[in-house]
Amino acid sequence: MWEGIAAGLATAMDPANLAWVALGCLAGTLIGMLPGLGPITAIALMIPVSYSMEPAAGLIMMAGVYYGAVFGGSTSSILINAPGVASTVATSFDGYPMARAGQAGRALALAAYASFSGGVFGALALLVFAGALASWATAFQSPDYTLILILALSSIAAFAERGLVAKSCVAALLGLMLGTVGADPESGVPRFTFGRLDLMDGIAFILVAMATFALADAFHLLTRGGDDEPRTAAGRHVRLAPGDARAIVPTVGRNSVLGFLVGVLPGAGATLASFFAYTFEKRFTRNPACGVAAPESANNAACMGSFVPLLTLGIPGSGTTAVLLGVMLSLGIQPGPRLLAVDPGAFWGVIVSMFAGNLVLLALNLPLIPWLSRLIRISRPVLIPFVVAFSLVGVYLTTLNDFDLYLMVGLAAGALVLRRAGYPLAPLLLGFILSGMLEENLRRTLYLADGSWASLAERPLTVVLAVACLVVWIAPLWRRLRHRADAAGAS
Amino acid sequence: MPRLNSMPSAAARMALVGVLICGALGAPADDRVHFVIPVAPGGGVDGTAREVGRALDALGLAGSVSFENVGGGSDRALGLFVENEARFRDALLVHSTPLVIRNVQGLFPLGFRNLTPVAGLVADYGIFVVREDDPMEHWKAILQRLSDDPTSLIVGGGSARGSLDHIVLALALGAAGIDARRVRYLPYDGGGKAMLALLGGEIDLLSTGLGETLSFTRSGQVRVLAVTAPARVAAIADVPTLAELGYPVSFANWRGVFAPPGSPADTRGAHVRRLRALAASDAWQAALDRHGWQALDVFGLEFEAYLEDQEAVLRVTLSELGFSR
Repeated sequence: MWEGIAAGLATAMDPANLAWVALGCLAGTLIGMLPGLGPITAIALMIPVSYSMEPAAGLIMMAGVYYGAVFGGSTSSILINAPGVASTVATSFDGYPMARAGQAGRALALAAYASFSGGVFGALALLVFAGALASWATAFQSPDYTLILILALSSIAAFAERGLVAKSCVAALLGLMLGTVGADPESGVPRFTFGRLDLMDGIAFILVAMATFALADAFHLLTRGGDDEPRTAAGRHVRLAPGDARAIVPTVGRNSVLGFLVGVLPGAGATLASFFAYTFEKRFTRNPACGVAAPESANNAACMGSFVPLLTLGIPGSGTTAVLLGVMLSLGIQPGPRLLAVDPGAFWGVIVSMFAGNLVLLALNLPLIPWLSRLIRISRPVLIPFVVAFSLVGVYLTTLNDFDLYLMVGLAAGALVLRRAGYPLAPLLLGFILSGMLEENLRRTLYLADGSWASLAERPLTVVLAVACLVVWIAPLWRRLRHRADAAGAS
Repeated sequence: MPRLNSMPSAAARMALVGVLICGALGAPADDRVHFVIPVAPGGGVDGTAREVGRALDALGLAGSVSFENVGGGSDRALGLFVENEARFRDALLVHSTPLVIRNVQGLFPLGFRNLTPVAGLVADYGIFVVREDDPMEHWKAILQRLSDDPTSLIVGGGSARGSLDHIVLALALGAAGIDARRVRYLPYDGGGKAMLALLGGEIDLLSTGLGETLSFTRSGQVRVLAVTAPARVAAIADVPTLAELGYPVSFANWRGVFAPPGSPADTRGAHVRRLRALAASDAWQAALDRHGWQALDVFGLEFEAYLEDQEAVLRVTLSELGFSR
């Protein structure tokens, strides 16, 4: 292994490769910052550049594009509440309110430092455990995924404070229902498409995210009229507040580990990781700084984790890694169990280059923060059309379907009504994101067990996950009951 | 205020770079090849389009090459391609076996008859895989188990019920007289995830395409029992074909290109000449090897006949599975 790492170090420190990783990170992070454009678009745009390159150099650059886009992805979530990828949705929960309160710079800086730490930790874990963790990826079966997804759904509890439990559940349910539109994953039969081909592939994530977050928010600000909230000079905060650094160190530490482990699982690694991180963190602290740092460190660590199944098994866990797999094959690199033996230079080279890549990303992102944070200080009459235009263009660039624009405006109007009625929209988006995977895994689970739910408690791993679910769901009830009993006893 | 524009102008620049890189600008229209890809980036169809384009470009067989991934599902892409003649006049649609399957299943009214078949370039054959430590070392052992009790094994595949991997399974079992409808088939989102389920022990047998799982077939963690190719495949030379085992069936997941409906004969002829030259080149052979694909090499009317044959096979198999309407 040490020889391999040394060879990888030599590959990664080659000046040409350093330049490629810097170029990849630059392109990735700039594309990732744009609302609506995520890692898939970034990688697809850079594919032609990679064709003429040496295999190892091409892989190093394209990996840089990927984690660079994840790194930059939080920007639009924080600034205009427009998460371009599912894994940055959780960042907007605390990041956007922070930006609205005049602390955009602080939120961006928190995201940058947390992303950097998560990325570096992920790369380190990849370096040490890449080989050993391949079996972790195969240990999880359909019942386990079902329970993990239910556990992730339970993070709606984080939004269900102050008597919003029922409304949160309704919103999550609506999200789950939206996720069932399109061809049935098991038989290909169309569901809820009203005969429209535009709905055959389901509703795009980016569409629902932009409609319920960015667009609904813009509509809300527009229709509320009159009183603009005070824009404070605090917008000049371009760095961490005093005490932030100390506060987020433990947050970043635990969520990097969590993110990496979840990221290794094929499926929606980075997305699940960021939701888990946010919920998990809310149990420790109410500090919004941690609410931004937790999902950001987790999703960047998860991004590194997703290289485990990709490199060691040759199996893409997500749409993004599927594109990356295609790139690797085109470059003549065959990822999989034999990559380490056949092409150690590429294997270790790409991992070692991630350290350099993350340094580049930090150096690129920090100086941009003062400029980006000015965005939030633009007056509403200018900012709102800007947000509306960007969300519409972002969706159109992804799906290239004008029907989606109407659908998006319609969904945003519906979201506005829900919002006015006091329904939180985050659970809706969460339900939508998890819907497809939950359905697929639950149906497989039930099929395997001939319709019996007992298989949810058969294997030790499944039992552990089931118990975790029960605890998460019952603990708040239990607390409330005890609270009530205490109150009764006192009176 | 100009500073605020730094984001949009970066966007414009990146988009411009993208367009320039794709080479969509500045070449004479007649020498341009534009690929319409009915799926998102990633996966076999997208990979085929990009490798064909890359090789055409490298060989100088096209002045410029561009790609367009149409989102919203392959049905929508097919509908757009068929109905917008003016926009796609010089374009080539890249598609694969599900084009025929969805049509035969009655899930979508358009099929290859609504297109002008130009060339079938790639064949990905079905393989049947077990874990390396599985006591069932031969395809015959699987057949024995399943004919004793069709529900005794759980078979996974990388596509929906009634779709490609399930059909290949049904064909192979049907040749041995086993009713595939009684065999438990579990669909996964792609051959990769199904392979993980095999390794993790959730399924006993995997029906998938060779290309998607090539690295595994060579890794020693799994054993390939049979391949649905008409002759042995070089990449897995020790794996017998079904025909060798005494079951005369073969089935390929083809990937090919189509011109819009009603393309004039000379347009089709020009595409065919270009792609024949591609198929004979070393650059294309290298691309096939990189991905573990096999050459199919059927052009023009041959391709059309090939599709008609496959349609007939699928009609029978799908009605046996109870999936056609």
